[in-house]
Amino acid sequence: MKKAKIIAILCAAIMILGLVAACGGSGSSGRVELVFALWGDPAELETTQEALDVFNDMQDRIRVTAIQIAQEEYSERLLTMAAGGNMPDCGMVDERTAIGWTREGLILPIDIYAGQPSKPKDGITFKDNGQTVAYSVASEVLGLWFNKDMFDAAGVPYPPATLETAWQWDEFIEVAKQLTFDANGNTPNDPDFDARNIVQYGAYVNCWAWQMEVWALSNGGRWYSQDGKSIVFDAAAIEGMQNVYDLYLVHNVAPFNAGQEDNGWWFSIGAGNVAMGTDGQWSTGFAGDSDIDYGVAVLPYMKQQANITAGGPVAVFADTDHPDEAAEFLRWYSDPENNWGPIEAGWWMPNMMNWFTDEALLKRWIDDTPNRARLPASSFRTAMADVALHPSTQPTGWYYTPNTDQVDRILIASLSEAANGSKTVAQVIEEVRPALEAALAG
Amino acid sequence: MKKSDKPPKSNMVIKEQRAAYVFLIPAFLGLSLITYLPLLAALFVGFTDLTIGHMVRGEAPQFVGLKNFIDIFTNPSIDFFNSILVTVYFALFAVVSSVVYSMFIAILLNRRIPGRAFFRAVFYVPYILPAVATIISWSFLLRFEGGLINYFLVNMGFDRVHFLSSAETVVPSLVMIAVWACGNLIVIFLAGLQNVPRTYMEAAEVDGANFWQRFWKITIPCMTPIIFFNMLMSLVVNLQIVVPALAVTSGGPGKSTMFMTYLMYHYGPRSGQYATASAIAFLFFMIAAILAAVLFITSKNWIFYEGGDDK
Repeated sequence: MKKAKIIAILCAAIMILGLVAACGGSGSSGRVELVFALWGDPAELETTQEALDVFNDMQDRIRVTAIQIAQEEYSERLLTMAAGGNMPDCGMVDERTAIGWTREGLILPIDIYAGQPSKPKDGITFKDNGQTVAYSVASEVLGLWFNKDMFDAAGVPYPPATLETAWQWDEFIEVAKQLTFDANGNTPNDPDFDARNIVQYGAYVNCWAWQMEVWALSNGGRWYSQDGKSIVFDAAAIEGMQNVYDLYLVHNVAPFNAGQEDNGWWFSIGAGNVAMGTDGQWSTGFAGDSDIDYGVAVLPYMKQQANITAGGPVAVFADTDHPDEAAEFLRWYSDPENNWGPIEAGWWMPNMMNWFTDEALLKRWIDDTPNRARLPASSFRTAMADVALHPSTQPTGWYYTPNTDQVDRILIASLSEAANGSKTVAQVIEEVRPALEAALAG
Repeated sequence: MKKSDKPPKSNMVIKEQRAAYVFLIPAFLGLSLITYLPLLAALFVGFTDLTIGHMVRGEAPQFVGLKNFIDIFTNPSIDFFNSILVTVYFALFAVVSSVVYSMFIAILLNRRIPGRAFFRAVFYVPYILPAVATIISWSFLLRFEGGLINYFLVNMGFDRVHFLSSAETVVPSLVMIAVWACGNLIVIFLAGLQNVPRTYMEAAEVDGANFWQRFWKITIPCMTPIIFFNMLMSLVVNLQIVVPALAVTSGGPGKSTMFMTYLMYHYGPRSGQYATASAIAFLFFMIAAILAAVLFITSKNWIFYEGGDDK
């Protein structure tokens, strides 16, 4: 009994010591101790810490310890830690909450690249009323992914990989029709086409709420005002979104897509029954897990070329006693050289401008990485890297608006009624406009 | 008899009462600390403007009166009135369906059939499966594109159904899943059925009562306390529905699965707007309490206690 008591006390002491050690502060070695939070499989913590130890070993002023939290509960866990006064010093942030968290005081509104010679691209900079508060560690855009075998089998040329040759929306629909087959091999252009029994779809557009913004822009509309302070959802935006749902409702070239699934690639190209589908650059990384031979092209467009940027940001949290050291570490962490794994695998594009302009660096992360080389690299350069720099590519709403989390919650739920055809996008937006305005206002 | 004419309590009664109080202390402490105090705290926070920002900045929240309680009904981005409707609709639908289904299955499993133990396990297993795994598995079966059930429907010549992606069918589909997973109710009904006095049945059989007459006149009245218990438990569990909205429907289509607990999650753990979440939580408690009270009050008219209710 006594022995058990002693063991219990020892365990409690170890836990308390662990907690104390995990909280930021200056360690006995005189080094500043930082805690860095990131999402991912908690089982990978050891590997993550090994990567951070490179930073710990290259200098003797700062030591960083990682805590890894499952992505589906990441924000909730951080908020709980913040409520308990035990927030990490710095970490990744859900894109949708970055501006809102800054306004609540969870994120310190500091530019970690202030005074630095080079900065990440402006399109992946989170700004609250013009003030920089965070940067994405990756620079993502959307693309059109296609199954080469399906195009070859139908005798249809691959989609264009340059903005200059991009398809207009009607061309996209026409090609999608040539690639859509029912069980008898008929396409939507054939009179005997059986829309109830489609075995291969020509197109898939990722309808996960935030990705739908690109079609509003493509049709000349907007979701948010330029200053991020008000909801727009004008007629052009509504029409652009309706065009997407009509791929399924009217043209019979796309599977039903309620927009409830984040990972569109796995439900389109990866599922093996769709010839081409839109999704983010990170789809390059799926090559390692899939036998499907796929390529990449530029998005089709409606009235004007459009694309949107994305990428998880890192930020300095309010609880830290060492904002300068946290900023220094985040700069190190955000450097493509120090995050080479996800870049090489295809999950991330580099965040710094020079990686898009320096030919040697371009070759290193595009031509010399197998998952991009197989697309092939030349297509990736024009369909992804060039697009990331093009003026038609704009920051997603979450880079400059607060409360996009609540806006997305309303959009995801309500737009599924437009997806199934029970309402038009115009009807849906008319119904939820007051809710969207209230959600944005917070 | 006048109040003062009550006979004095015997030592035995007093001892029993003391023992009852002693044994109630742990439950009372647990309930007070884990349930009633947080409930009071939620009520208190609901009258303030507390957000995560106050906690981080170390600022005291301000008292705002009934503002949060008014906001949750008038702010269109919350629309709590809709959440009450969809939650109560789901809960009542699920309670009635679950009780009827589990009673029916329990009666079948109470008969002498081959493999009875196996079938009892089969019907109980869904209850112990993790809720998230269950709902995600069902969502794959019910998918409009590539779902197994729609595959069979198409092959039988029917149109596909938007089980989880239409405002009209999503709640009935979720009720079906809730009913499928109500193995606990079946077990409780089974225990109840085995306690229906054989003497009543035998007497009825001697009097020439057929199966239905015995079922309606003996089984059901004897089972009313169990039916009441199962309805109450089922009501409480189903009012707390949140997993389908979190894992599959995201509150849609439209607002058809924007359940109260889902809103609570979004404004509480997800957004750190604790005052709004607390106001929702407190009203949720009140609604659950009212529905339970209705069940309790009406139960006096239909519950039959064989040995009296020990008033």
